[in-house]
Amino acid sequence: MSLVAMTATSERAATEQPVPKVRVARWARPALGLLVPVVLALLWEMAVRAGWSNGRLVPPPSRIYQEFAELARSGELLRHVTATMLRVAVGFALGTAAGTLIGAVAGASSLARRLIDPSLQGLRAVPSIAWIPLFILWLGIFETSKVALIAVGVFFPIYLGVMGAILSVDRKIVEVGRVYRLSGPAMVRRILLPAVLPAYVISLRAGLGLGWMFVIAAEFMGASEGLGYLLIDGQQLGKPAEIVAAILAFAVLGKLTDWLIVLISSPFLRWEDRFART
Amino acid sequence: MLVLDRVGKTYPNGVRALDGVSLEVVPGEILVVIGGSGSGKSTMLRAISGLDTPTQGRVVLDGAVITAPHEKIGIIFQEPRLLPWLRVADNVGFGLEHYPREERRARIEGALDRVGLTEKARGWPRELSGGQAQRVAIARALVPRPQVLLLDEPFSALDAFTRADLQDHLLDLWADFKPTLVMVTHDVEEAIVLADRIMVMRPRPGRVYEEIACELPRPRDRQSAAFDFVKRRVLAALDRSLDRLVITVDTETKAAAGGGLWW
Repeated sequence: MSLVAMTATSERAATEQPVPKVRVARWARPALGLLVPVVLALLWEMAVRAGWSNGRLVPPPSRIYQEFAELARSGELLRHVTATMLRVAVGFALGTAAGTLIGAVAGASSLARRLIDPSLQGLRAVPSIAWIPLFILWLGIFETSKVALIAVGVFFPIYLGVMGAILSVDRKIVEVGRVYRLSGPAMVRRILLPAVLPAYVISLRAGLGLGWMFVIAAEFMGASEGLGYLLIDGQQLGKPAEIVAAILAFAVLGKLTDWLIVLISSPFLRWEDRFART
Repeated sequence: MLVLDRVGKTYPNGVRALDGVSLEVVPGEILVVIGGSGSGKSTMLRAISGLDTPTQGRVVLDGAVITAPHEKIGIIFQEPRLLPWLRVADNVGFGLEHYPREERRARIEGALDRVGLTEKARGWPRELSGGQAQRVAIARALVPRPQVLLLDEPFSALDAFTRADLQDHLLDLWADFKPTLVMVTHDVEEAIVLADRIMVMRPRPGRVYEEIACELPRPRDRQSAAFDFVKRRVLAALDRSLDRLVITVDTETKAAAGGGLWW
């Protein structure tokens, strides 16, 4: 850049007025995300109250709230939520354990990777819902087949995440471990684990999301309790408010459990040099 | 004493990176290895460190053959290679895991003080500038008091001011307990500022071309005639005459000033 051009830029920078920015107070930032849904809900409530719509197929917020309150009061909500949560928890735990273990083995040993990765990638290409008939034949129609389906859904993102994270650990950082003569276990504890942790947390979150997705599929295939059952029940009895209430419960639970993973992992990831610091 | 006995490295694809280098480095000596790319200087350093094994010959430190990283040998790489998940102080103490807590803490504090980064002790590596990060890497390598410290172009990624600063700083730190230094560089001035002895290497295959003693009094004045004399010798050994270098620089200056106006 020539000297003349440089002077011109700096002059312009000096005379330019700072653009006034919309600043949001720290405490108000989460509230910002609520603005759109709350306004939409209020508009719909007004529309129904004003008689522009009877709100039969799309119930207004007040009716959904009533439904919620009714379900909560009778203990129904707790029963369904507990059943669903239990399935997700057990399926997620099993899928995570298997995905972490097999992913770690495939990441660490190229022989193991050549042996098992092609098969697993092939199985991954099968839409997991396709397993349902087989699981029912093998494991019966009760809890075991449902948990197995969730575990399969959780397994793949975690397997891929762990294997990929191990394969992409920086050789230069591993060399630092070698210079300080770390033993195998010490290398894992002091270099490999911290290095793969960020990617692992992301795969856990992806796995959990799939777990929530598959629990519905599992409960659709026949359940006497659970939020998925509530959805089917609402459809068969023509109660859209119940369906929306169940959907909202799913949204809240999904978000809460995801947030839980973020919360638990964040003290270990403070070192990350991230694009966005929350 | 560090001894290299006909150390050579041929890669599986047949490339001869290093062709039988023999040398002896006495304790406390500062040996600088200089050469263009492909001259085998980094290959040699990695063989000494035990990170790579040579395909011929052997590296011997005080009678022990080096085949793997050794506790008496420290290394500083071109990049700081700090562990991003450890705070600065814990990075410095990375090689002191087995030390008693008090001793460990005292050594870390001492080293951070020596490199002037005491106030960064609780910080993360991502908060450091390039020069600061490399100082932390130096502290990490020095804190176990290695007998031999290897440096693989440690300052080449830094700007000229920081580089000159760290060169002086390295000499200060070296004076604390006088380890043997073996440094690889492609910067002629850096070699002459630091070295007791300069080894010039040439490529294809990587070989020692000339050894030049560098016994100027310290601190060394980069502008002195003696410095310039050594510089001409090193450049000649590298097959780069200083005169030719001057001419190139001159043409570039003329070009930058606008070729037409100059005449």
